[in-house]
Parts: sequence; structure tokens; C-alpha cells
Amino acid sequence: MTTTAAARAEGRTTTPAGVSPMLRRLAEERATGALLRDRGTLYLADGQVVHAESPATPGIDVLLTTGGALHPDRWWEAVDAAGTRQRVGRYLVESGRLTDGALELCHLGALYDAAFFALAPSGAPARFRYGAAHWFGTVHPVSVASVEAETLRRRELLHGIWPDAAADTAPLEQGGGHSPAVPPRQRAVLALVDGARTAADISHVLGRPAFHTLVDLRRLAAAGLVRAAVPRPLPPPTAPAWAGAASTDPDVALLRRLRDALEAL
Amino acid sequence: MPGIDECLLEAMRLPGARGASVVDWTSGLALGTVGDSPNGDHEATAAEAAELARMTAEHRAFAPAGGADWSAGEPPVEDVIVTSRDGYHVLRFVRTTFDSSVFLHLWLDREQGNLALSRIRLGEMADRLVLG
Repeated sequence: MTTTAAARAEGRTTTPAGVSPMLRRLAEERATGALLRDRGTLYLADGQVVHAESPATPGIDVLLTTGGALHPDRWWEAVDAAGTRQRVGRYLVESGRLTDGALELCHLGALYDAAFFALAPSGAPARFRYGAAHWFGTVHPVSVASVEAETLRRRELLHGIWPDAAADTAPLEQGGGHSPAVPPRQRAVLALVDGARTAADISHVLGRPAFHTLVDLRRLAAAGLVRAAVPRPLPPPTAPAWAGAASTDPDVALLRRLRDALEAL
Repeated sequence: MPGIDECLLEAMRLPGARGASVVDWTSGLALGTVGDSPNGDHEATAAEAAELARMTAEHRAFAPAGGADWSAGEPPVEDVIVTSRDGYHVLRFVRTTFDSSVFLHLWLDREQGNLALSRIRLGEMADRLVLG
């Protein structure tokens, strides 16, 4: 009766163009192990995705401890007690630290989030380590088809907000524009943009899945409030007087952003 | 301590319940679904409901007088209620102790559903889901 994102995608008659043919094959052979890709790792059990991690996004330890859901001491206690048995997640529930619901919400969110980055297009070869399992343990397996479909949907979602991906990975700086109407969760992201931090850094500080940060950053980029920091050119060339006058025109900044966005299409 | 599936099945026991889901409003991902969905596609429904939830959570017009600072994971809005000729929709924001943007979506039949009761029960379920 109950279905999850996992079960739903399996009912599709048309599957989306594969994100990773290797992953699809592993699902078909119901493989168990770890798929190591350029930008992250997916853990499979019986062909279903049970865990994912990527350096581009905070791990579940950061997500759970940053917001105060779990004291770091309790986290390490669970890793010590249940890590070797690959039951850290279950231990957190059984020892009363988290409800099943909290664990599932956080872990499922983290899984789709890390999978989005792990499945990013890459020219580097992927490897599969048969039999490898993650020490966190299984919480709520999801199908490969569901993870692939969601990953594609997320790419389109970002593209629809603002097509330029430059700010996804680069150090970020504030764009100088100002908008009093930035919503609170975006404001938290904007406040951490300092010319050095990347989207991944900001996500770690906030304890927030990095895809969520990207959604906010694309919105902020569309509003002209955030951009990829560019290394300053060394000697500023002397510009004719008219250029200085032209650059004070507020439309210029908008036109530049539009041009960048069109080029990224 | 209920998980996502138990929470949704409990929501489906409310009078007139036709479908329920747990949705992340930043990404539009349905983390769990049960029953029917208004357009026959739980994923599309989740993405559309997520847009509505995001608007209400982000726009200052709907924030409480003290401001919407998301202190202690508290969303500024409690629920969003939509009524139509043949149904009710109740979106209930879930308060979590970790950073998240999750809501419960309950779809009710207009004839059989009890909007006031469902709103209260859904709020209790949202609290129990995360806090036990």
C-alpha cells in the first residue's frame, strides 16, 4: 500500500536516459557493494541504493550534529558501539537518540543529495567494489531507477532557476546588488558568501544538504546577489572616460548576467 | 516511534483521506507516498505542492509578527490549507532538529473529510514523526 520514491519509479514504462549505465547494470544483477565515482560513492545492497556520500555535500554526521539533533559525543558513541556491525543508524533509534521518522527523513534526504553529486557527469572511470558495505547501515533502500530519475529532475530544476552552473563549485562572492526581500533560508546562505567559501563549504557550516544550498545559490545568482569569485586582474587597464560612465548604468550588470546565462544554455 | 510509512498510514485513517505524502519543499522530492494523488502522479503532485509550500514559507506576508528566522528549526508557517469543489488539501510543515524543509501533504475528499479535525491530527503526526 505504501510506496516510496523507490517503488514508484520502477513502475515507469519509459525510463529516463541513464545517468550511469554501470549503475543500471549493477541494479539488474542485484549487486551489493560500493560504486566509486569521481565525485562520490553509492552503496548498493541487492541492487538497491542504501547509502551515498560525496565530498560536495555534508555527511549525515554533519547534518545530524550541526542543528542539534544529536550531540557529537552521542554520534561517536553510536559509531563506536555499532559501526563495526554496520548498524549505526539503527543504534541511534534503539538507544532513543532519534525517532525512526527523524532518521528516515534525514538519511533519505542525504542519500538523494549525495547521489546527485556522485552521479554528476564525469569522464573519469568508475569502479565497483563488490561486497563493500557502509558502516552507517541500511535505513530505507531506494531503487536505482528512482535515484537516477531524481538526479535528472534535480539537474533540470537547477537549470530552470538559473542556467549558469559557475557558482556551484567555485569560491563565491556577493554580487553587490541588494534586495530586502531575500527569504530567511537564502539569507543564511548569503551571509556565508565571503569570497572564499564554496557551496560545499557553506553547506557544511549550515549542516544543510548541498543541493538545497545550490537551489538557493542559483536563485541568489539570478537576482545578481551572488557570483563565482573571479581572481582579480593584476593591473587595471586605463579605460576611456565613457566606459566609466557606462558601467554605472545599473542595466549593465543585468545585461552581463543575461549574457552569461545565455552562454551557459 | 513511527517512521515515514507508519505516519502516512495513520494519516490515511482520517475520515475522507484519499492520499498522503511527505515532501521536501526545496527539491520537490516525495520522500514517501500512500494512497492516490490528485493528478495520478505522486511525483508531479509533490513538485507542485512543494512550490506552494515554498512560497508560503519564504514570503514575508505569511511570516508571524516576530519575523521568520527559522529559530530552532521552526518554520514560520504551520500549515497551508487549500479547498476545492471536491477536496481539501492540508500541508503541514514538519519541525525538525536538523536542517530540513519537509512537509506532510494530506488530500481529503470534501464530502467525507473533516478539515478541522484533520488539521489538528496532522499537526500531531508531524510532531510525533520527528520528536517521538
